Amino acid sequence: MSINIQYFAGESWQNFRRNWVMTFGAVITIYLSLLLVGVFLVTGIVVNRIVKDVEEKVTIQVFLRDGISPEDVDALQKDILADPLVKSVRYTSKEKALEIFSGQMEGSPGILEQMAGNPLPASLDIDLKDPRTVREMADSILKNETFLSVCDRPEDPERSLKYGQQIVDKLFAFTRVIRIVEIAFVSMLATVSLIFISNTIRLAIYARRKEIGIMRLVGASNWFIRTPFLLEGMLQALAGAALAIATLVIVQVTVFPRLKDAVRFLAIDLGTGTFIQISAILVFSGIFIGLVGSAFAMRRYLKV
Amino acid sequence: MLLMRGVNKYYTPGKAALQDCNVMIGAGEFVFLVGHSGSGKSTFIRLLLRELIPSSGQIVVAGQDLVKMKSWKVPYLRRNIGCVFQDFKLLPNKTAFENVAFALQVIGKSKHVIRTQVPEVLRLVGLEDKVQSYPDELSGGEQQRVSIARAFVNRPPLLLCDEPTGNLDPQTSLGIMKLLERINKTGTTVLVATHDRDMVDSMRRRVIALESGHVIRDQDRGVYGYVD
Repeated sequence: MSINIQYFAGESWQNFRRNWVMTFGAVITIYLSLLLVGVFLVTGIVVNRIVKDVEEKVTIQVFLRDGISPEDVDALQKDILADPLVKSVRYTSKEKALEIFSGQMEGSPGILEQMAGNPLPASLDIDLKDPRTVREMADSILKNETFLSVCDRPEDPERSLKYGQQIVDKLFAFTRVIRIVEIAFVSMLATVSLIFISNTIRLAIYARRKEIGIMRLVGASNWFIRTPFLLEGMLQALAGAALAIATLVIVQVTVFPRLKDAVRFLAIDLGTGTFIQISAILVFSGIFIGLVGSAFAMRRYLKV
Repeated sequence: MLLMRGVNKYYTPGKAALQDCNVMIGAGEFVFLVGHSGSGKSTFIRLLLRELIPSSGQIVVAGQDLVKMKSWKVPYLRRNIGCVFQDFKLLPNKTAFENVAFALQVIGKSKHVIRTQVPEVLRLVGLEDKVQSYPDELSGGEQQRVSIARAFVNRPPLLLCDEPTGNLDPQTSLGIMKLLERINKTGTTVLVATHDRDMVDSMRRRVIALESGHVIRDQDRGVYGYVD
């Protein structure tokens, strides 16, 4: 059977115009739900990048109490170096720490002025051979007797150590909550858009019931009758997806550069490849919603 | 061409719309199906179109068993059956040409086929001057001719007509009947459900009479036969 694409496209476009209010509503709901999916994906990717970034900083910093003797520092340094996991250990004095901190805070001199004296502790910076052993190493340092006697906070030795994992754990706890909220919103909006689409398709079927009756009578195949409606649902969903992608592009162009200026140390940048992937996901989920919505309407209102 | 054997149809249990119906119609016949309103004429037609499935019994149309037929095959059955109704069922926003062309378009016929077959069939029904007219610019008789043209454009071997002259005056009805007769002469089997007494009596064709769901009479060269 030769399928008349021109015919299908014409029929779908006609319905699109006839019911434009309903269509508009359907497009907007799809747009919102897909936009949320998009934001969800973008934040997910950014957070993952940050997590990776932090994890790759395999240094463990051991903060030392003020005024301990250089012999104790030497002893601890030797203990740590003896561990096969360790690549190198560097000593950073209080003065050096302040110097590094001043360098980082160059942009905001106010903070430096408010600091009385030098509150920063001296530290040992430990580089590991393998980033995956951070946790293991941290545990072994915590058990070290020398460490316990020279650490910055003897009452809570855990806090005298600083390593990526701690930050990662905090980040994960935070993003998990956000993710649950987002999933709830997305599924709610997806349901609403399904209902909206199936309603517009129902109206379209109702508006064309006479044609449909004649089509059945003269032996148009079931798929010939159904295709314009499926196509219409898909068109609506694609329009929503296009709007969502356009919004994400605008956000990418306008907001991201400013965000990058504000928090320079975070790697919040989406490559073009990632962006195309996100767009593809949005388009396909849009098509899915459109097809399911119109299929639902046809099951109930289009007996062929 | 058409065979019904022991067909029963119940809409509500215990109340038969059609009961123990046995009918055979050969290829090329012209048959009247007569009976009062509610006698089962429409059920009869709808069973043949497989809009309905019989509660029991066997129906064969154009060599196909309608009871066992899969539902996706039904459209292909209907391409072999032309259909004419009392209310014409034309699309008001399409011209006579477009209404007939629509029937070919939706079964996937090419533009070339449409351009040659539609004018031809419109000439056959005598509407060559009204090709570009919309249904509301046509008289009842002319609208029914368009509807017959649409039913026949695909050259189906079977033409079913449900009260084709129900809305028309006697003079116009006669013209429609003559047209159906001409179509019958091309070899098409024609089944006309009607309660137009004068028409049936003057045409002297085979008559199948229905009363409360039973076939009460089946005679060649018959008459309407009821006393209203």
